[in-house]
Amino acid sequence: MGKTKSVILLIVYTLVIAVLCFICTVSFSYGPDNMQTFSSVMRMMEKDADLGLAYGANADAGAYIGGGYSAVYYPDGVISAKEYEDNLAGLRETSEEDAAEYAAQYVRYPDASGAIYLEIGKACDENGVVDASFAEDFSEAVDTIMERYSRLREDGARVEIADNYTVRVFLPAMMDSEYVAINRFSYMGEMSIRTGASEEEATDLFGIRSDETIADYVTNVTSGTTAGTSFVEFHFTEAGQAAMNTATAGAAETAVTLYFYIGDSLIMNLSVAEQMTESSIYVTGSYTAETAAVTATLFDTALDASSDSLSFTVGDAFFHEALYGGETVIMLYIAFGVLFVAMMAFFFIRYRRLGFVHLYTFLLFTFAMILCGWAIDFVYLSVESFLAFLLAGVLLCASNIVTFEAARKEYALGKTMASSVKTGYRKCFWKLFDLHIVLAVIAFLVSAIAIEALQVAAFVLGLAVVFSGIGSLLVNRFGWAVMMGTTKRQGAFCNFKREEVEDE
Amino acid sequence: MSKKKLLPIWAAVSAVLIIAGIVLMAVLGFNTSLDRPEYKTFDVYYNVVVDLNEESKAALEAHCEEAFASAQVSYTDKVTLSGQSAPVSLTGTAFSETGNDFLLRYTFSAETDDAALASAKSALESAIDGDETFAMPAETYVSYAGVSLQPMNEAIWRGAVGIVVAVIVALIYVAIRFGVGSALTGLIACVNDAFLVLAILAIARIPVYAFAPMLYAAIAAVVSVAFWLIRCMKLRDSAKDPANSALSAEEAVDRACRATDKTVLIAALVMAVLLIVCTACTFTTGAMLIFAEALLCVLVPLYFSMLLAPALHGKVKGAFDRLKAKRTRYTGKKKSVKAESDN
Repeated sequence: MGKTKSVILLIVYTLVIAVLCFICTVSFSYGPDNMQTFSSVMRMMEKDADLGLAYGANADAGAYIGGGYSAVYYPDGVISAKEYEDNLAGLRETSEEDAAEYAAQYVRYPDASGAIYLEIGKACDENGVVDASFAEDFSEAVDTIMERYSRLREDGARVEIADNYTVRVFLPAMMDSEYVAINRFSYMGEMSIRTGASEEEATDLFGIRSDETIADYVTNVTSGTTAGTSFVEFHFTEAGQAAMNTATAGAAETAVTLYFYIGDSLIMNLSVAEQMTESSIYVTGSYTAETAAVTATLFDTALDASSDSLSFTVGDAFFHEALYGGETVIMLYIAFGVLFVAMMAFFFIRYRRLGFVHLYTFLLFTFAMILCGWAIDFVYLSVESFLAFLLAGVLLCASNIVTFEAARKEYALGKTMASSVKTGYRKCFWKLFDLHIVLAVIAFLVSAIAIEALQVAAFVLGLAVVFSGIGSLLVNRFGWAVMMGTTKRQGAFCNFKREEVEDE
Repeated sequence: MSKKKLLPIWAAVSAVLIIAGIVLMAVLGFNTSLDRPEYKTFDVYYNVVVDLNEESKAALEAHCEEAFASAQVSYTDKVTLSGQSAPVSLTGTAFSETGNDFLLRYTFSAETDDAALASAKSALESAIDGDETFAMPAETYVSYAGVSLQPMNEAIWRGAVGIVVAVIVALIYVAIRFGVGSALTGLIACVNDAFLVLAILAIARIPVYAFAPMLYAAIAAVVSVAFWLIRCMKLRDSAKDPANSALSAEEAVDRACRATDKTVLIAALVMAVLLIVCTACTFTTGAMLIFAEALLCVLVPLYFSMLLAPALHGKVKGAFDRLKAKRTRYTGKKKSVKAESDN
C-alpha cells in the first residue's frame, strides 16, 4: 500500500472511530437554557434495574434510577391491620355500635400483633382458625400469580408470600408498564366472553354447561405484533368457533359487542362489525407489545381457573431503589477504564506503535458492542453482560497477541514485514477460527435455551466473540496494513527485531 | 511425582467434591441468602403531609433503633421506600409516586423471634405516642411480617439444559476438528469444571444470587473449553511434526501440555486480574460478590487444565490410538514418516 493511500485511509479510519466514540459516549445539553439534550448511545442503552441508572431510551438524568416496584395483593377476606384500624377509627367517629360490629367481623392474624386481619366466615372461624378451603384457594391463586410472573421473564421479578395469606410482588423498573402488569395479574377467576346490548345485560357467549369449562371453547390466548400493531389473539376450539360464528351472525347489520371478563372484572370489550368465521380472533387497541403480552398471559392463565377463585385487591405499592446500589454502573465504567489503560500499556510497551492497531480494533469492537446493546431489543447492560463483554475482550486481546507474535517470529527469520504478517496470519488463522467458533456456538446455544439474565449474558458473549473474531482476523489486519504503510521503518514500528545470525 | 501418577488423587478429589456438592445441592440447595428466600420485615409507614419533617424522620429512625435495642434484635437491612398512588386503574400505564407516603422497612433474618418483634413494635408505638414532635401519631403505622420467596425455577433448569446442549454441540465440532478423544476429554473437563464450581458454592455455602450458579457454571464451561482448545491445537500441530511421530500417546500429550502450560497460565492470570480489578472497583456495591465469585470459574478450569487434563488425555488418546490401530487392516508408513524418507 502506498504511503499517500495509507495516510488517507488512516485519516478516514481515525475519523470513523472518532465519530463512533462521540456518538457512543458523549452526552451534552444545548440550546436556549440547555433545554435540548444530545444523549449518547451508551446513555440510551437499556440497563439492568439493579445497576441504578435510568433505564430506556427516553431516560434522562433525574428520571427514576433503576430499582423497581412492589405491591401487595390482599385476597378477599384479608385486609391490612392499617386498613382495619383506619376503617375502625372512621366508624367510631360515627357510631360505636357499627365499630363494634365491624370489629367483631375480623380476627387479627397470625397473632395479637399481626400485620393482617382475617374476615370471619370468609377466611377463618370465630376462633381465628383459618378455613381449609380458603387456604386451598389461596394456594391455587398463588400458583396462578407465580405462573403469570414467570411468563413475564423479567429478570428480578419476585413473588413472595407475607404472613401466609398476602402476596407481595416485585417488578424491576425495566418495563414500559409495570403498573399494568402488577394490576392485571391481580385479577382472578375464570375467563369468560360475554355478549349483549350492554355490559349489564351481557351473557356468556358460549353457554358453557356445568360439565364444561371455558377451555372447551378457547384453546389458548397469545399475543403478537405485526407491522407495528400489537394484538391479543384468542384461539378457539371447533365448538368455540361455531359459537362465535353464531353470536356474530348479525354483526354486519348491527354491531355486536363482546365483553372479555376475568371473574367479575371486565378487562376489555370488542365491537364486531362482521361475522366471525375464523378459528381465532385478533384484538387490537392501544396495546404495546408488552401490554398485549400481559393481557394474553392474564387470559391464558385464566382458562383453567375456577369460577369461585379468590379475588384480590392491590394495595401498598412502593418504589424500591436499585439492588446493587445507585453507583454500580459508574463503578463498572471505572473498572473498564482501569482495564483498558492496563491493556493499552501492555500493547504499547511490547509492540510500540503497533499498539495503535490493537487500539483501533479494540475501540471498534467496543463501539460495535455498544451499538448492538442499544439496537437489540432484549439486550441490556448488566453485571452479567458486562462480564461477558470483558471475557470476549480478553479473547480479542489474546487473538491479537497471537497474530502479532506469529508475525514477530516470521520477521525474526528475515522475511519482509508484508510476508511476515501474511505468513503469521496464515499460521494462526485456523487456531483462532476454531477458538472463536467453538465459544460462539456455546454462547449462542446457551442464549437460545436459557432465559432472563443468563440468556442476555450468553447472547452478549456470543456476539462479542463474533466481533472478536472479525476484529482480530479482518479489522486488525486491515489496520496493520494501513498503519504500516505510513512508515518506512516497519520493524521499529512494530518493535520487531531480526534474529541475529553469527558469522561463520 | 508425575502428573500421571497423581491422576487418581486429583480425580478422587474432584469426585468427592462433586458428589458432596450434588448431595448438598439436592438437600440444602445453594446459599441464596442474597436473594432473601425467607426473612421478616418490620415496617414503619409514615405520611409526610402530616408533619414528618427531616428532623422527625431522624427521630423516627432513632426510636426504631431504641426499640430494637430494647427488644434485643438486630436488622440486616434498612431501606426507605417511597409510596405510589394505589394502582387501581387499568388505564394507567406507569406508577407515580405520591411524594407523601413512605415506608421505613427493616429486614430481619427469618429466625428472629416474633415475640421480640412484637415487643419492639409496642416499644416503638409507645415512643411515637410519647414524642410530642409527632403531632398526629395515627399517621405512622408499625407492623411486621414473615415473608417467603416463591422460587421461579424455570430460569435454573433452562440454564442447565442450555449449558449441556451447548457444550455437547461445541464438542461435536471439537471431535470433527481434533478427534473424538479430544472431544471426550473436553467433555469431561466441562462437566468437571461446571459441577465443581457448583459443588464448591454449595459446600462452602458461599452466598449467591439465585441466578448466579448457572451463570458461573456457564462461564466455567466456556473457560474450560477455551483452555482445552489451546491444548488441542498444540497437540494437532505436534502430530504434524515428523519428529514427534515416534512418541507414545502419553508422551505426545505430555509434551504438548508442557508447551502450552505457560499460555494457559497467562490466560488464567489475565482473567483473574480482570475479575480482581472489577471486584475492587465495585467493592462498595452489591455487584462485588458476582465478580469475586466468578474467580472460581477461572480457578477451577485452571486446576483441571493443569493437573487433570494432561494425565487424563494421555490415557484417552492412548486408548483411541490403540483402537484406531486395531481397526486399521494395513498399517503403512505414516504420511509424515513417508515424507521424511522421500526427502
